[in-house]
Amino acid sequence: MDCVATGGNVKVLAKAIHSLSRIGEELYLEPTEDGLTLRAVNSSRSAFACFLMSPLFFQRYQAPPDQAFRCKMPIKSVQTVFRSLSSLERSVEKCRIEMNNQKSRLRITLHCKHGLLKTHNLSFQDCECLQAVFDKDNCTNVLRAQPRLWVDTVLHFPPSLEEVCVSVSSDRVWLRNHVEDDADSSKAMMTELCLSSEEFDHFVIGSQTSITFCLKELRGLLVFAETAGLPISMYFDEPGSPVVLSVSDSVLDANFVLATLSEDAHQRNNNKANRPRAELPPDDFMCDDIDSYLIAMETSDLAGPSYEPQPQTSSSNHKSRRLSDEEVDEKEEEEEESGEGQPNKKFCSLFFGSVLPASSRPTNQTMQSQEVLASDSEDERQSE
Amino acid sequence: MPLSTQSQLGNDEYVLVATLDNVRNLSNILKAISFKDYAIFNVTQNGLKVTVEESKCLQANAFIQAEIFQEFTLKEGVVGFQVNLTVLLDCLTIFGGSTVPGVSTALRMCYNGYGYPLTLFLEEGGVVTVCKINTQEPEEPLDFDFCSTNVANKVILQSDSLKEAFSELDLTSEILQLTMSPSHPYFRLSTFGNSGNAHYDYPKDSDMMELFQCTKTQTNRYKMSLLKPSTKALALSCKVSVRTDTRGFLSLQYLVRNDDGQICFVEYYCCPDEEVDEE
Amino acid sequence: MKFRAKINDVGCLNHFTRVVNTITKLTKTCVVRLTVDNIFFVLSGKVANGGVSMWCELLQVNFFDEYQLEGVSEDANEICLEVNPENLSRALKTAQNAKSVKIKLTKKHYPCLTLAAELPSLSSISRIVTHDIPVDVIPRRLWHDFKEPSMPDFDVSIYLPPLKTMKSVVDRMKNLSNYLVVEANLCGEMNLKIETDLVSVTTHFKDLGNPPWGASQSQSQSRDVEAMAHARVDIRKLQQFLMGQQVNPTKSMCNIVDKRIIHLILLQEDVSLQYFIPAVV
Repeated sequence: MDCVATGGNVKVLAKAIHSLSRIGEELYLEPTEDGLTLRAVNSSRSAFACFLMSPLFFQRYQAPPDQAFRCKMPIKSVQTVFRSLSSLERSVEKCRIEMNNQKSRLRITLHCKHGLLKTHNLSFQDCECLQAVFDKDNCTNVLRAQPRLWVDTVLHFPPSLEEVCVSVSSDRVWLRNHVEDDADSSKAMMTELCLSSEEFDHFVIGSQTSITFCLKELRGLLVFAETAGLPISMYFDEPGSPVVLSVSDSVLDANFVLATLSEDAHQRNNNKANRPRAELPPDDFMCDDIDSYLIAMETSDLAGPSYEPQPQTSSSNHKSRRLSDEEVDEKEEEEEESGEGQPNKKFCSLFFGSVLPASSRPTNQTMQSQEVLASDSEDERQSE
Repeated sequence: MPLSTQSQLGNDEYVLVATLDNVRNLSNILKAISFKDYAIFNVTQNGLKVTVEESKCLQANAFIQAEIFQEFTLKEGVVGFQVNLTVLLDCLTIFGGSTVPGVSTALRMCYNGYGYPLTLFLEEGGVVTVCKINTQEPEEPLDFDFCSTNVANKVILQSDSLKEAFSELDLTSEILQLTMSPSHPYFRLSTFGNSGNAHYDYPKDSDMMELFQCTKTQTNRYKMSLLKPSTKALALSCKVSVRTDTRGFLSLQYLVRNDDGQICFVEYYCCPDEEVDEE
Repeated sequence: MKFRAKINDVGCLNHFTRVVNTITKLTKTCVVRLTVDNIFFVLSGKVANGGVSMWCELLQVNFFDEYQLEGVSEDANEICLEVNPENLSRALKTAQNAKSVKIKLTKKHYPCLTLAAELPSLSSISRIVTHDIPVDVIPRRLWHDFKEPSMPDFDVSIYLPPLKTMKSVVDRMKNLSNYLVVEANLCGEMNLKIETDLVSVTTHFKDLGNPPWGASQSQSQSRDVEAMAHARVDIRKLQQFLMGQQVNPTKSMCNIVDKRIIHLILLQEDVSLQYFIPAVV
């Protein structure tokens, strides 16, 4: 492989790498006839991101003769090359990426102002093909908006917030922080943002639904979309099936595929937090009377809330406790092991990592044949 | 000036009295060498030479000529003492080191000889701070015996071009390799880190290169940890002269311009890393 | 028990935000006391145990366009809530360009201060962001802990120098020592001092002026005007106070009870903040 990017595209490339670094530790690189593919996956395999820079993105693009070539390397080392975006903008005129198979080195050369030449020789490993299973074109819900809207939206949530719940109706979108069911969460501040469909460039809701996914990856994509000035589209169906965030223009294509919380976990969340209000209640302060609470408190020393949690079946209570246990386990577990322990985790692995022979590998990024996300977690639990 | 009224001793009783209208002209240049707590002060009629050393392999010197000071009185030929540089810098910047034009901290620095503290009177906007910093007997600084007749290669670069390189250095590399050569690659910085290697090449005809005098091809390695502190000097400087002698010792001389446009120098000497089994 | 208030003016919103940000810098948790005329932010550290305490008072009418309050009962027309000011700060931060902000006491799964902001949007329909900030309602029997602290019988009262200057001095002294001596006299002089094995530093402020407190403060009347009253305090606590300053006080002063306490007061037309730091031996 030998390709050269120039001018503003060097920065686009750098931002793509920075975005991917928000997803996983390794960069999967695959040069094909269709362009240069950059991918990353998170350790629990519940988030996957893929950039395709078409040959036209580059001033020169030469794919390797051996079509099956793929490699991966620590994304940190690639980030080092593109560390300072300001210096990239200021001084880099040209970026050349070459693959040296014999030496297992990826060479990135930055041609800078004043004749300064920066050459990075990065070691890499061969790897299997990394691909998530998703089919965004058949999603019933699609939202598209300028990056500014997404940035303004995400700003309302604290950086520490891991998951966000998005609910849609025919003319509104609600975003709210998703909080775990444990005791501490009762003290967390709950934030909800309501946006009108009019703020979106494209707004098609086939089914009113709520999905919950990780915010971190969306933030990662925003890093890219904002620089590139490209709108972000969000494709999704029901809770449990993945949400696809996507950005594209004539020379590049980016898809971030994120697992969403499966139905049962999600419903509990919805019961707890108030459901999206199709109609906001009239703003009458008389209905927010909390005297009952105070009376309960004044009459007993018990500081517990007078409010009773939504009735839940005992089995679902049990389940929620189990879930959090699983979560702890999961953190200690290496990704390798995810195969056997299978997934009582709240986000299930998207599937990838299969090594397909080059001939049977569809050039299309979508693989219909594979089972989609998460659907088996329910059975798994019941059998226990 | 309100400072003089504050001093308990009259000027007559001090061995050294130095005053500055703008304390930044001293504090900034000391920041360029502040990578260790202790600094050796050597004061002569020419001015101050402040030395900081590390592991017997690295030495940094800052020179502040007598002319930089508004008053510089030394009653003996040479005076030497050692102080905690971190403490000294906190004292010198007690008013925050404002960069607002027209607002500056005035300094009167006094020393009364062996056993006495270094006394600073600082004044800004009518507020006076008096600092007494304990001094110690100075240690003998290392002699790197770096003399210009033994210089093999020398280049002078505009600092900006090196700042970028130093800010991007792969710190997982234990060494920084410096190649200077009359032929390609002329001037090259290389690192060998966990994820691969990197080379930064500066052509000899680059407009960042003010002087290029390389007579023989030399490749020397220096410990990254030793060179890292020199970035502080680099950041403040406008030009840097990079020299190596025949033994592979490195001299980095930084030209620093102060708020009043006067020029001071900071100098770093570094020993080469022990030869690796390369040859 | 009901509370509802609304801010329409962006200047008032910014001002209120700055007050809350100041409180956030000073304490992780505090008590908000709502009365018909005032909002108070209270931290009642036990000075005896070395804790700081804080009392911040603002006039609601200068901040809110609407303000409705029904207290616990007619004879105690107040509400006392324990709040994490950080939450309030964060909520206000996301409401920066709001057309209006409503704050009300609500009952969700737990009692909350709900802050709802109407934000400008790309369409004709505003964006609405709502933050439910969990609070603990403080029962009436505990209210006595949250009364305005009485003015200590100080030895010296003095106006403070510009807080910015004081902050840079205290920041540097913090690098050098854990404790700092504040001393002042009735000639308008104040010194900040530290002393360690390595260094001694004294910053002298003069011509600061002494506030006239009238005859009530008898102790300072008979005092030698040049004699310093002093208190040795934990530098971090003073630093915290100076760091948090986002309000621009029209008057700032310090009362010293010799060897016992320093009492810092910041006054703006409609906000006042008092901060008590106990002396250490």
